[in-house]
Amino acid sequence: PCSYRRAPINLALRLSALAWSSSLCSFSGSRGLHVTVSCCKNRAARIRVGKGDKPVTYEQAHHPHHIGHRKGWLSQHTSNLKGEDGAAERTVEDVFIRRFMFGTFHGCLANEIVIKRRGNLLNVCAVMLQKLPPQKFYFLIGYTESLLSHFYKCPVKLEIQTLQDKIVYKYL
Amino acid sequence: MASRTSKTFLSLGRINIPLLGFNKPSGKATYATALSINSSSGNKGLPDRGGRGPFVRRPRREAGEPRTGKMPVDQDWTAVYPSAAPFRPGSVPLPLRMGYPVKGGIPPEKKGNLELIKIPNFLHLTPAAIKKHCEALKPFCTEWPSALETDTKCDEHFPIKLESKEYVSAGPSLRNPSARIVHLTVKLSSLNLDDHARKKMIKLLGERYCKNTDVLTIKTDSCPLRQQNYDYAMYLLTVLYHESWKTEAWEAEKTVADMEDYSWEDSPSQKNILDVLLRMKVAGEGDGEEVRQQLLGRKDVQDYKDSVTRLKNEGESESSMLQYKEAVKKVFNM
Repeated sequence: PCSYRRAPINLALRLSALAWSSSLCSFSGSRGLHVTVSCCKNRAARIRVGKGDKPVTYEQAHHPHHIGHRKGWLSQHTSNLKGEDGAAERTVEDVFIRRFMFGTFHGCLANEIVIKRRGNLLNVCAVMLQKLPPQKFYFLIGYTESLLSHFYKCPVKLEIQTLQDKIVYKYL
Repeated sequence: MASRTSKTFLSLGRINIPLLGFNKPSGKATYATALSINSSSGNKGLPDRGGRGPFVRRPRREAGEPRTGKMPVDQDWTAVYPSAAPFRPGSVPLPLRMGYPVKGGIPPEKKGNLELIKIPNFLHLTPAAIKKHCEALKPFCTEWPSALETDTKCDEHFPIKLESKEYVSAGPSLRNPSARIVHLTVKLSSLNLDDHARKKMIKLLGERYCKNTDVLTIKTDSCPLRQQNYDYAMYLLTVLYHESWKTEAWEAEKTVADMEDYSWEDSPSQKNILDVLLRMKVAGEGDGEEVRQQLLGRKDVQDYKDSVTRLKNEGESESSMLQYKEAVKKVFNM
């Protein structure tokens, strides 16, 4: 009878030992639910302050509420003015162009892409790192311009500037 | 750095903690590449060439001095920025700084500064450039005709004015549905209308007529094209003009309430003043048509008639009330 009664205790001990080693095991005895007041912290486009060894650019260092005060706008077109339409189409085009550039010039982009529309013309401005030889750059620029202009049926111009390395604004 | 932390996570064994806390600087939100990429300036490592000998990568060519160092002071700036272009730090020889400074620091310099690229610049519109544009456009311009020097002359020769708007926007499409609206304005005094036609026209126009400026405005936007709206507006003007000259049979039923202006003849005011005057002084002479006519011919009655007509048509004001007061005093010999 005594050994019979001891078995569940040993089993509990073994189970808790198992729980220690694999934290996914959840059938130990006491399992409480800990709840705090929800802290609605804003996490959009923010790099949190760290040890001080993480270099960030000007664009990343300033949070979205600084747009209009310390940061400009990355995309400029008339559709967001009063009484104008086409805002949704322009935004979708912008998103596609950013992904396209990120993929085509993979590893070369130093900063965000600035898109300006002047009437029909789509002007894509980018700052790049000098990772590829110039011939490859020229090819990729020509390829991007012709592909995007065929896709969007409007003239697309790419304005590229190159840097040796990224400009660091501060270390977070 | 990000790659190193991922390795340490994986080395902990078969713990499959999802990498949610992973700092992904090249995730969905940002499209710039991660900061930890080291730009390899030399040879990364000799790939295996299968016995053909070591591969020597062509030595990286150093970038030369930017163009700003070689610009003479009296250069032609219109050649550097002939048309609208984003800011190029290597082409603008100005020591510009833009951005919010770090604490205890200064705004970041122009090299690689995205803020300077984001803003629209007018480097292509210097006074010299604008002068060149004007010179290029001059051969296509003609003089303003001398017969149309003043506004009144323009109104006299071109009484009908048409107004429509063109819209320019950024995007692949030229079309804007608000561009089809046409406004037609014309002064009624410039149209050939007699009294009846003018009154009928004003009644037909309703809200489209402004009494103060005597201007008729027709706004057409019911057709999809501007040309169609213009034709419709001209058609409306023509129809209004011809209809107001016609007299229909039912117009004879116009009552006093339909009249636009107040007319003193056969009005209650005339009857009242004549009755009062008859009762007042000429009680002995009896009541007859010719007595009434004689009374009407008197000057003070005429003055009274003018003042009442003015009050009713123009509304109450200091001068019109004074005029009425004087007229009443004269009639009653006060």
